[in-house]
Amino acid sequence: MTAGRLDRLRGTAAPRRHDARAIAALAANPGCHRRAVLDGAGVDKQRVAAHVGFPARFGRSQFAISRGNAFEAQVKANGCAELLRLLRELLGLSIPEVAYDDLEQVAGQDGLDLRYARSRHLLGRAATSGRGGTFFDHPLLRLDVAGQPVWLEPDLIAFQVAGRFHVVEIKSFAVVDGQADPAKVSAAAVQAAVYVLALRQLMADLGHDPEIVSHDAVLVCPENFSNQPVAHLLDVRKQLRVLRRQLDRMARIDDLLARLPPELTFDLAFDSTGTPTRDPAELVEALNAVPARYTPECLATCELAYFCRHEARGCTAALGRTVREELGGVETVAEVLGLAAGTRPADGEQAEVAALLQTAARLRAEVLS
Amino acid sequence: MLAVAESVEVIERRIDELRAAVRRAVIAGDRIRAKALRAELRGAEQAWERALNALEGRGEPTGQVADDGDAEARRDQTGGASSRQLVRRPGPLLPLREQVHHALTLLAVPAAPKLIAEVHAAFFGPVTGEMSGARLTHLRRDEERSFRAAPYARPYYLCAALTADHLSPARGLLAISTWALERRMIGPLSPRVDFLTAAVNIAEHAGRMVDSDGVGRLLWRFAMNIPGAVETFHRADRPAGKAEAVAEAARAELVVHAEADRAHRREAAERAAALTDVTRLFGNRLRVIRETA
Repeated sequence: MTAGRLDRLRGTAAPRRHDARAIAALAANPGCHRRAVLDGAGVDKQRVAAHVGFPARFGRSQFAISRGNAFEAQVKANGCAELLRLLRELLGLSIPEVAYDDLEQVAGQDGLDLRYARSRHLLGRAATSGRGGTFFDHPLLRLDVAGQPVWLEPDLIAFQVAGRFHVVEIKSFAVVDGQADPAKVSAAAVQAAVYVLALRQLMADLGHDPEIVSHDAVLVCPENFSNQPVAHLLDVRKQLRVLRRQLDRMARIDDLLARLPPELTFDLAFDSTGTPTRDPAELVEALNAVPARYTPECLATCELAYFCRHEARGCTAALGRTVREELGGVETVAEVLGLAAGTRPADGEQAEVAALLQTAARLRAEVLS
Repeated sequence: MLAVAESVEVIERRIDELRAAVRRAVIAGDRIRAKALRAELRGAEQAWERALNALEGRGEPTGQVADDGDAEARRDQTGGASSRQLVRRPGPLLPLREQVHHALTLLAVPAAPKLIAEVHAAFFGPVTGEMSGARLTHLRRDEERSFRAAPYARPYYLCAALTADHLSPARGLLAISTWALERRMIGPLSPRVDFLTAAVNIAEHAGRMVDSDGVGRLLWRFAMNIPGAVETFHRADRPAGKAEAVAEAARAELVVHAEADRAHRREAAERAAALTDVTRLFGNRLRVIRETA
């Protein structure tokens, strides 16, 4: 029933595949119904956004991708020589723990099912016997998102004889003097959490204790202004909780769907040449039927962000989380200005905010005069 | 003079190979690669001219050769109107495959293109010609094609290292066909064992050489990733002592892994011995049989 409904929402196009980035982005704004519904149905948001006149202006830069790949290759070169040193220091890997399994290809093939089966086999064997493999390079994991399997490929998984599995995430942003860009670190943490979750699910499927997968992910970044890698532990427990909640919600997407008009669809009605023929105005109307929750962070993670920003113009929420929290209960910018100027009567809830705003307005006027 | 005659032959073979490669690239419509190969071909032809002049005893200085009629005509043939600058640069005298062979012989273990280039640069001078991952993949494919066309016609082939579990080509590693089969097998412990073995071989070679910055840097990079090597590396005052420090630390760790690794490799090598000649050198590829089902 739900599946049929989601198919109708998506229309004729094939469902879009999610990756760790997309799942991480989902967790970034759990309150957004629009994103939950569109992602649940596997709608190609990029094309929808372009069709309604708000094409997403992001995408990863080619330079960033090659830089990331080069750094990863460097860290893993020569049998993970550099990584091995870092993990020996950080996790206390013993000297005999050096085994390395390349799971990016199986016998020269890179079919997903084949790779998944092999990853499952090797990781399962390591968990059962406590031996047989320390580094698993690019294993393939699977996570069910709204009933659809999503393939995930962590950079590396490390396993300790005496301990547990650790997800290793290799990122090319620099850690300068022990500090890194908090936004990038938190994005990496969410991504690592997605992998931890998928690996835990795999372990549970195989009949092992999911807790064998550590909630401490290892983040490997270049140190300072050099190319020298450095490793840090990243506790992803909080991200795991958010993710689990969000994925649960997507699994219970029926509640969200029940509130939507039954004939709703985001079909772009592609013709034979692949050009969308759907009336943009109609599509905008369809989008408006699902409430969104725009925050400025969406710009970095969601293809529909520019559309939602346009829609949220004049709302206090569009100014960011801090503003929204400070002005709790006041919906629009016009209302805020009215309260500050005293031209708008403040009801019971707003009295406190109104007093603050009026003080702020008075201070501003004094400073400017 | 004999050595020069030999090098002329090497260059001639190289020119033939390059012509075939250019033809293939043109047929495949790969213009960028064709252009790069043409430039290399022109370089090889220049080298051939120079070597020939040396044989004649004329020994004209580099660069002037281009002004004689023959070379002029050849330039027109290859359509190299802009080749004047290329002509002045000495072309690669040794084909890439021989440079790779040198570096791999020194390392004595299967290695990735990056390490091969680094080792060559440190011990034999910078690599002439391009040694990127993509270029070496082509090289391996060319070697395979050549082997299929005329098996064992060359004294050695650059071939694949094989994964111990499926005997398929290990990703991004090159080896030499004349090595014992065991050495080309890559089990789970082999990447580390090969890294340590390479460290020992490089250190021993470096110990016999006069000190050079390139070699020192290469050694240092190995030392950093071997437990116990850094301290003794710093303590040693002579370059030979530094090399010895790296070799010693690498040997100490090797002892831990060597036996288990050897068992894996031997077992895999026994299985690989039953393969056909081509698959034994270039690996077994799992075929997808979906189409025939």
